[in-house]
Amino acid sequence: MTNNQPLIQVRNLDLYFGAFHALKNVSVDFHAGELVGLVGDNGAGKTTLIRVLCGIHTPTSGEVFFDGRKIVKFHPKLAIDQGIETIQQSVGLCDNLSIARNFYLGREPVKRFLGVPFLDFSRMRDMSTKVIRQFGLRDNVSADDEVERLSGGERQSVKIGRAVEFKNRVVIMDEPTNHLSVREREHVNELAVQLKEQGLLVIYITHDIFQVHKLADRIVIMENGEKVADAMTDSMSAEELEEVIRQGGRVIEKQEAV
Amino acid sequence: MALQAAKPLIRRHSELGIFLIGAVLIVIFATTSEGRWANLYNIGTILQMTATLGLMSLGVALVIGTGEIDISVGSTFGMGALAYLWLAMQIDPVVAVFAALAVGAAIGLFNGLLVTRSGTPSLIITLGTLMIFRGIAIALTEGFSFSIPYADRKGWAYFLFGGGEFLRFNTALYWLIGALVVLMIVLKAMPFGNRLLAVGGSAESAHSRGVRVDRVKLVTFVICGMLAAFAGALEAGKLGFADGSMGRLMELQAIAACVLGGCLLAGGRISLPGALMGAFVLSSIQSYLVVTGVRPQWFLLILGLVVVIAAYGDRTLRQWALKK
Amino acid sequence: MKQLVRSQGLGAIIGVAVMLAAFTLIDFSGWWTIQTLANVTQFTAILAFVAIGQALVIMTREIDLSVGSVYGLAGVAFITLEPALGVPGSFLVAMAMAAFVGVLQGVAVVKGQLPSMIVTLGGLFAVRGVIYVWTGGAIHNFSADARLHPLTRLFGGELLGIEAAIFWLVFVAGLLSVVLWRMPFGNRLLATGGSRESAESRGVRTDRVKIWAFVLCSLLAGFAGILTLCNQPQTHVTLGENMELEAIAAAVIGGCLLSGGRGSILGAILGALIVVSFRYELIALGAPSSWYITFVGAVLIVAVIFNQKLARFLGHSV
Repeated sequence: MTNNQPLIQVRNLDLYFGAFHALKNVSVDFHAGELVGLVGDNGAGKTTLIRVLCGIHTPTSGEVFFDGRKIVKFHPKLAIDQGIETIQQSVGLCDNLSIARNFYLGREPVKRFLGVPFLDFSRMRDMSTKVIRQFGLRDNVSADDEVERLSGGERQSVKIGRAVEFKNRVVIMDEPTNHLSVREREHVNELAVQLKEQGLLVIYITHDIFQVHKLADRIVIMENGEKVADAMTDSMSAEELEEVIRQGGRVIEKQEAV
Repeated sequence: MALQAAKPLIRRHSELGIFLIGAVLIVIFATTSEGRWANLYNIGTILQMTATLGLMSLGVALVIGTGEIDISVGSTFGMGALAYLWLAMQIDPVVAVFAALAVGAAIGLFNGLLVTRSGTPSLIITLGTLMIFRGIAIALTEGFSFSIPYADRKGWAYFLFGGGEFLRFNTALYWLIGALVVLMIVLKAMPFGNRLLAVGGSAESAHSRGVRVDRVKLVTFVICGMLAAFAGALEAGKLGFADGSMGRLMELQAIAACVLGGCLLAGGRISLPGALMGAFVLSSIQSYLVVTGVRPQWFLLILGLVVVIAAYGDRTLRQWALKK
Repeated sequence: MKQLVRSQGLGAIIGVAVMLAAFTLIDFSGWWTIQTLANVTQFTAILAFVAIGQALVIMTREIDLSVGSVYGLAGVAFITLEPALGVPGSFLVAMAMAAFVGVLQGVAVVKGQLPSMIVTLGGLFAVRGVIYVWTGGAIHNFSADARLHPLTRLFGGELLGIEAAIFWLVFVAGLLSVVLWRMPFGNRLLATGGSRESAESRGVRTDRVKIWAFVLCSLLAGFAGILTLCNQPQTHVTLGENMELEAIAAAVIGGCLLSGGRGSILGAILGALIVVSFRYELIALGAPSSWYITFVGAVLIVAVIFNQKLARFLGHSV
């Protein structure tokens, strides 16, 4: 471990959606400068867990500490202000707005005129143009185009570009390589490692254990809303971890029993 | 080739359809009415009608932009008119206008709180408040008379709020233009507008980017209520009296104006000039029927057909523009 | 019992119980009289027809704002055409006109891919306009012969001191309940509203289902108009104005969710009972008649929030 104080500490988290028990007594620590792979089958609760971390869901019970302070109110605005940047799987871009407007949604740069805040269009445009070129979007895509026109991969690139651009302390990536070509995928994975090396906490969510095993320092496996495994990648091979997922966590129980 | 070039323009400006319809209608109306429609007096009347309906439509368009709907505006209009008349007589028109705005803001706040706190569809909530405030308006007018004699309506304050004409047009028109300019700037060039459209485009995405969705909706409902009540005050300022049915069916006309103007009911895509043009077209049709001596009964029938045909035309145009 | 608790009508059943208890406490002697109950049930039956139709449309995740105008149109057509076509003829034509409006709206919604709110808003205006243009504001009456015609008596008469409309309501509601809960069409209707894509992927022709829902809704509204006029044969251009609001209110109070796929016929009837009872009792208590609108609005808001909380409490995701 890099230091003793975890950047994000989750303790005994429970979350219900109506009668559905989505997260069951989850406790996990995340440290700065770490790349953690969060792995599990579909419906294992990975996305739900990180949606708590980025403030979309409020847990039913349990505690979340950020940088040693207990989180009392959950809202994406507060999470972003704290420096938690998330690349969501299905949400994050509004189809009806231009790339530039999406890029700064919620924290628009303003120029004040007589105290009235007006959008700083030139800055919004320059910044987002820089990022979309860097991520290799088609040349005929401009920052003023509506997101509606973008392909799945291009949308993903915009989201990742935005998160990297605003990088602060934590970057959470939910299935970041979906919809991406092989070349784009490698680029994203390189970025994840780079961010980690810059001292950020990177949480990388995927169901592909082999892919993340190569990148991550630590793997957390979830199953049915529970954390079933938490292991350093140098202590367990990808095959062993895959076996854990396949057994739905029973291997670990056996090991613990021994 | 020229048509191809128009595609991106139409894609970006959903209101072009209504401006096209408006232009065609103006030509037809002007040529078939032997000068009874296209004269300064009649245009002035149309613009006065457009002004009050348009102010209401601007508010409704904003609410539609957030993906909600407000059909209580007809009653808010009536309540605004009553508040204005009651206080203008007793105290002062300026105070009365502020009172009307306050009433509108209160109704909007009530709508917005119910919608955002309970998470129920705004259609039902505002249907409920439409009925609540209509009932209150009728009950108020049953006991008291809300009118100011013409002779008493003197002074700049009355003049300013719908009671007079400046450069031959009712002062309400200038309020409308002012509201349009301010709201256009807010919508297009300020962070609030960006967030409003984001909420309508995808509330989930906006939420995940830290936009306080409920707060944006609440503020929009309040603005909508204030605009409707202000429109009611201007109408009352012009007529000098009001009864309990004031503004009835106007909520439907305002929604029709928004749809005609290219506002998408699903939210996220609205055009304020389009909504105004929609209001203008509706007022023009009404006036055309009056000046050509067609029985006013036809208005409802034509209004209904125009709404559906325009919605269909707008959709077809849009689909065509989106095709590569 | 469990089924009852799970059904969408539960909120309305609780509502009716609370309302009856309240009216009994406030106005025992005024409320529990033959006269009051006869009037309330008669008007409830009429509104219930419209509300059931509305409920069917809402279950497919659409809405029909035109029912008040269709109600008026069918009534006006029935009375106005009677001298020319006779009672049975004008009845059939009036129902056909209602069905035609339903088909038009359904096709416009489905094939034109337009929001039903806009289409039926147009329908509300256009049909009301037809009524105005057709009658020119004049009031029409039934001839003495037509009043005594067996069909008129069948729709508007009484049996054992109970209005015919109530028998018709029981019959139609029973029939529709069977269709909705026991036949494939009902299953498809609910599937269409619950998840259109899923229904489509299982081979349900959601287009047809929706058009049928609109037609049924218009037919029921038209039938309600005719029942009213058989009872009180006099038309007015404003016949059925604001009825769409009352019908939506009744359907929503009865547990229909605007998100589609859930609803209850019994609930719609009970919703209508609540709306009508409020109107009657407020007038009976001497409140100005306009307060009634206010109260229906308030009841609507309370009901929709209550039903939603109830549904969440029972574990539905809404």
